[in-house]
Amino acid sequence: MKKQNLRLTLAVGTIGILTALTACSAGGTGSASTDASKADPNAKVTITVGDEPTADKAADRANFLTMVQQFEKANPNITVKPSTEYWQAQTFQAKLAGGTLPTTMNVSLTYSKQLIANHQLPNMTPYLKQAGLLGELNPLALNNVKDSKGDVYTVPYGLFSVGISYNRAIFTKAGLDPNKPPTTWDEVRADAKQIHDNVPGVAGYAQLTTNNTGGWMLTTMTYSMGGTVTNKAGTKTDMGPATEQALQLLHNMRWVDNSMGSQFLYNQDDIRKSFSAGKIGMVLQAPDIYTQAIPTYGMKPADFGQSALPQANGTNGTLTGGTIAMFNAKATPNQLLAAAKWVKFKEFEKYFDKTTAVAGAKADSASNKAVGTPGLPPVADSINSRYLGWIKDYINVPLDQFKGYTSSTLPLIPEPADAQNTYAALDPVVQKVLTDQNANIKQLISTAAQTIDRNLSQAAG
Amino acid sequence: MSKTLAIELRPTSRRKPFNVVRWYQSGGFTAVLFAVPIVLIFLYFTWGPIVQGVVLSVQRTNLVSAASWVGLKNFEFVLTDPGLPQAALNTGYYALLGLVFGFPVPILIAVFINELRKYDWMYNLLAYLPAVVPPVAGILLWKFFYDPSGEGIFNTMLGWFGVGPLPWLNSEAMAMPSLVLYTTWAGAGATAIIYLAAIGGISSELYEAAEIDGAGIWSRLWHITIPQLRNIIFIMMLLQLIGTFQLFTEPFLFTGGGPNNATQTIMLKIYNYAFINGDYGAATALSVLLAIFLCLLSVVYHFVTKRWSPS
Repeated sequence: MKKQNLRLTLAVGTIGILTALTACSAGGTGSASTDASKADPNAKVTITVGDEPTADKAADRANFLTMVQQFEKANPNITVKPSTEYWQAQTFQAKLAGGTLPTTMNVSLTYSKQLIANHQLPNMTPYLKQAGLLGELNPLALNNVKDSKGDVYTVPYGLFSVGISYNRAIFTKAGLDPNKPPTTWDEVRADAKQIHDNVPGVAGYAQLTTNNTGGWMLTTMTYSMGGTVTNKAGTKTDMGPATEQALQLLHNMRWVDNSMGSQFLYNQDDIRKSFSAGKIGMVLQAPDIYTQAIPTYGMKPADFGQSALPQANGTNGTLTGGTIAMFNAKATPNQLLAAAKWVKFKEFEKYFDKTTAVAGAKADSASNKAVGTPGLPPVADSINSRYLGWIKDYINVPLDQFKGYTSSTLPLIPEPADAQNTYAALDPVVQKVLTDQNANIKQLISTAAQTIDRNLSQAAG
Repeated sequence: MSKTLAIELRPTSRRKPFNVVRWYQSGGFTAVLFAVPIVLIFLYFTWGPIVQGVVLSVQRTNLVSAASWVGLKNFEFVLTDPGLPQAALNTGYYALLGLVFGFPVPILIAVFINELRKYDWMYNLLAYLPAVVPPVAGILLWKFFYDPSGEGIFNTMLGWFGVGPLPWLNSEAMAMPSLVLYTTWAGAGATAIIYLAAIGGISSELYEAAEIDGAGIWSRLWHITIPQLRNIIFIMMLLQLIGTFQLFTEPFLFTGGGPNNATQTIMLKIYNYAFINGDYGAATALSVLLAIFLCLLSVVYHFVTKRWSPS
């Protein structure tokens, strides 16, 4: 009996471990004051900054630490403590609650929206103004990090839009012109079939499907076909014929053309690996795939091609994503101002100071990192062009192979409401269409819509 | 006899009145001093989170600003989740598959190793080896094995016999059995070691007597080993049941709950509530429900197996 009690305790205790992850003090300071005068620009202050490169990236790390020194020299009242902390789903919320996150660190744009919606970030508008950063930001990019009142909570600097990545070598083998990537979904289907018919063992086109990426890419496809996923107010789903068309296209490529290979459970890492290994002809990806495909997974730069998101029913647009700097809600006003200054120095100085620009590009190049990967500039286009001119000797990305992407003028559409949650509800829809020939597309969408509506009303409280 | 004994014992079993000095002198205070840190640590780190978790389940919080009380709303939300029945069924299906196919494997491995006269240490090592492989590494390895194309390792092997290629994780029907296959591989060795130790404790006289009576290996297994292992089998079965109801790592890393929610489990749902949706109230509400269910299961199990056990 004693042993049995022990088992019972064990059962409860195991659950306790999970609850331990979330069991933290519910108290907090709330969001920062909107009163900028609370921050004293000359006060002595110490901040911690995340994303310090680890020791295995020697050149990056040295460059980062040099920047810390330069920043401290320029701002003698600010002490910067670097930290290798970076965003991780499992620990982020607990650290946020415990107040142990750095004063500023990087987060994916998609989570930034959720954090803003959950009121887990401080209002940075006054501090960004005081640091002289707000005016320099690309207004287009800024739209992604504002709340409904127009207050800015994070700083976007690594933005991109989703396009289509393709393997130029596979295109050539299949008899396609690698300089003419598909621009419409009809062309994608035809090219995928041609690849399937001519290059054995290669999926003509592959689709992300797991860990919320299925919903992410279905949303992207829906946008490209002129549809939307949630309404403008973010209170209800608004999926229509475009989502059906996107799913029908996937269904046809999978079951009629058989041009999507045999793997239908892809997360972001797995699909990037398979693409880099030459097992996939085309895949929806933002150009930042290049920074992983070539240096990490060993794809030949000459084989890589990137173009804009294919469209259907006219020119409609594409989805944006990227990296932003977030700030700790538990930091003091002086710390937030100092952190805003640091972000300005770390991410934006290169656009205004040639020496910083060249040093950063040189370090990246020495660490075998991609330099000059196209994306949406966080500053005005003219300033970005000047910056690219400064670092042109270190650019190691074959920009010619990105022409279809860089020359694109597709409208940029923000993510749907409650993005990750909405994507999660759409994952099984895409998986079902790709693994069940008799999937009822209309019914799948309507079931997913019910789940999303339920989540949206729960999120609204 | 027992009555007489009770009468005899009565005077000595009477409690002496509590005396602080005597208690102190006999080391009572030192014992308490020794116990205090561990009790405090246990209360703070083990029961603290459990209590906090229960409190969170009736709150709505973003972990930054003050939490608000929402009563049983979180429970209502998770219980009306259209995905919950499937997650519960999947979890139950996994537990069942694990019990039917996975549970006997370590017993058989233990019996097999025990029957070996030579090189038993080597088989012991081989059986235990998967337990040494970290789950993440093991799962990544098996992802290669489960490659659904004709070039996948399992599909290549099946191809030699003219079978397949099978879709493995890419099929709703095969995904869960594939997870059971992996977890059996990963967990059987460690469990077999426990059975092996228990088998070592069985009196060899029983086997010798059986051998003299002409019992074969199966007969010895059925009539001696399994009855003698009964208690440990019951405990391991309960542990496995609790473990299977907490299935998380495998679907999280293998399939992300797919295809089409075929491997979505309760624990994966809890994770998604907490770390994808940022809804800690719903996550802890479902955790509390799972904990209550497992407690009830343990109690029922205890009484059921008690009836089967020898008195």
